[in-house]
Amino acid sequence: MSVAIRPAGVLVALVATAALGALSQVPYTSERGSDAYVRLAWRARGERVETCRRLPPEELAKIPAHMRREEVCEGHVVPYRLLVTVDGVTAAQESVASKGARADRPLYVFLEIPVAPGRHRLGVAFARIGAIPAGERERGTLPERLDLDTVVSLGPRQVALVTYDEDRARLILKGYGTPNAP
Amino acid sequence: MRRLTGVLARGIRRGMARADAAMNRLYGWRHNPLYMSGTLAVVSLAVVLVTGVYLLLYYRIGAPYASVARLTDQVWAGRWIRSLHRYASDAAVLAAALHALRLFVQARSWGPRALAWVSGLVLLFIVFVCGWTGYVMVWDVQGEVLAREGARFFDLLPLFSEPIGRAFAGDRTIPGAFFFLNLFLHVALPIGVGLLLWIHVSRVARPAILPPRGLTWGVTGLLLALSVFWPVAMAPAADLLRLPGRAPFDAFFSFWLPVVRPMPVGVAWVAVLGLSAVALLAPLWSRPRAGARQPPSAVDERLCTGCEQCYLDCPYEAIAMVTRADGRPTLVAHVDPDRCTSCGICAGSCAPMGVGPAHRTGRDQLVQVASFLAARELGARDVVVIACGRGAGGVGAAGSVDGAPVHVVQCAGNLHSSVVEYLVRSGVGGVLIVSCPPRDCWNREGAKWLDARLNHDREAELKPRVDRRRVCLLFAAEGERAAVRAGLRTFRAVVETLDAASREEEIDLLALCEHSEEGAVS
Repeated sequence: MSVAIRPAGVLVALVATAALGALSQVPYTSERGSDAYVRLAWRARGERVETCRRLPPEELAKIPAHMRREEVCEGHVVPYRLLVTVDGVTAAQESVASKGARADRPLYVFLEIPVAPGRHRLGVAFARIGAIPAGERERGTLPERLDLDTVVSLGPRQVALVTYDEDRARLILKGYGTPNAP
Repeated sequence: MRRLTGVLARGIRRGMARADAAMNRLYGWRHNPLYMSGTLAVVSLAVVLVTGVYLLLYYRIGAPYASVARLTDQVWAGRWIRSLHRYASDAAVLAAALHALRLFVQARSWGPRALAWVSGLVLLFIVFVCGWTGYVMVWDVQGEVLAREGARFFDLLPLFSEPIGRAFAGDRTIPGAFFFLNLFLHVALPIGVGLLLWIHVSRVARPAILPPRGLTWGVTGLLLALSVFWPVAMAPAADLLRLPGRAPFDAFFSFWLPVVRPMPVGVAWVAVLGLSAVALLAPLWSRPRAGARQPPSAVDERLCTGCEQCYLDCPYEAIAMVTRADGRPTLVAHVDPDRCTSCGICAGSCAPMGVGPAHRTGRDQLVQVASFLAARELGARDVVVIACGRGAGGVGAAGSVDGAPVHVVQCAGNLHSSVVEYLVRSGVGGVLIVSCPPRDCWNREGAKWLDARLNHDREAELKPRVDRRRVCLLFAAEGERAAVRAGLRTFRAVVETLDAASREEEIDLLALCEHSEEGAVS
């Protein structure tokens, strides 16, 4: 390498290194726009309705001793309907059913609704679909119906979170737009 | 697909040839970083490993962002070491990507090299996942976005009883197990990198793991200087109840976000799997058609003396020395066709000319050079150029360069020294051999062994009876035609100062071969 071109080599190395540094810290906006969001997120052990029957002795005798239970119950988790209104307009409406191979997982709700920054009247209704048939047993703690009617005030890119408080068995508002907003 | 791959590879190769030539002018071929991309990836990963151990001492899974902020602001040299950790991981990804691109356009990814290709891609993927978990560990805006994207991908699979994405809803604190899992993967995956690196080079002899010392310290020093003068700043902390705003992202690990985030997750999965399949299967489209592939080397057991030179020179460990079946006391070379890339380096290493791919053994080369000379009227001051068909300033395809006839060999390492001797004894003024730079030999060690055979008495060496002043070895990359012409001018000037070359009439090719067979067992 001749002495004359060494400075060029050093310069190229410095520029390449600086380019690496720049590419390592590229400004990027992952969420474009200035919308705020209402996020509904909760997990609740749904109402499981079961039909139970007692096994007769001859049927019990066919089952291995360590697996014998006098009463067997079969059932499913009752689905719920979710209705969300923003400023009186329906923003989302869907049914929420239990997942899993045996449809016995908890009910999960995860929904994000974009809203313009500012004050909004928010209504959430989470209600059981259908009635429990007579003779079936009900297990669970989720009330038949949950409602939330509140006003949120959101700035750009802020999220108001509606979630389920299991201890108080009601929907609550968290995050931005609440009196205790961060 | 094959045609598209070919067009793409040729286009990239042309650009790469120009870049190689520019880098050779700046740093010389010994320190050209483009030739050393694979080893530079290893150096960068070593820096990542060392700095990572230091960072690990201060990281707390119970307070990820706070611990990294403390590390950055309060711990001695923490800001610089964290920056070095990040920049070195970026350099590793860049170097590995360049390395893969180079091998792809040079069609060095199929056949026996497929294992290195596939393991290299898996290595790159693991490094990528390591980086991903590393950014999530910081739990800043970028970490949050990457975590959400990861959850979006995995939630499509029926793997988890509860969607992972719900962990980032903001209704509860993110469990410490999540950060522990990230930390575990971030630390455990590099162990897999070490294992895969071993597999990656398992089919090559004498793998080059590290670049020359000057380049190693030069690159490390530059990364360190970058860390000191432009340290990485802390991005805003992740806030699950606020949409991420504008923040610095690492393009080397997050370049895909602008494309993939707007996609439905199913489409994103198809795109990722499709691109991965294309990358893995690229060798199928870049290899020559079945009829055009070079056959593996073969051994003529009658000529093999058991000297082991081909076994020592083979860059792919495709030759083993085995017991002879004919009762002679020496070993005999045996070529494993599944490992042989048909580079032909063994043909240049065999003094008795008993090994090599069909039509490229030393004997075949002598016949070819004899007919090359017979077709030309060359004077005692004329220079013949022997050019590697792959690099060598691209003169191999030209037929002649500045009036000097060009005799092409597929790889300079393929060239048998007897060919050079034959030319000199035939009375040509000089022989200029143009090879790719040793660090860029498509067959790894062809140029290195050629230099050793011509100038350092490595078997099969250029015999002392050959006037060395009439032989010149020049290294030139594919884009360095000007360097070849300059070298030719200089060499011609030297040849002009010599006495007119004497010409031996009727050189007996068979005798030349037999002379080389002095050690052959008859």
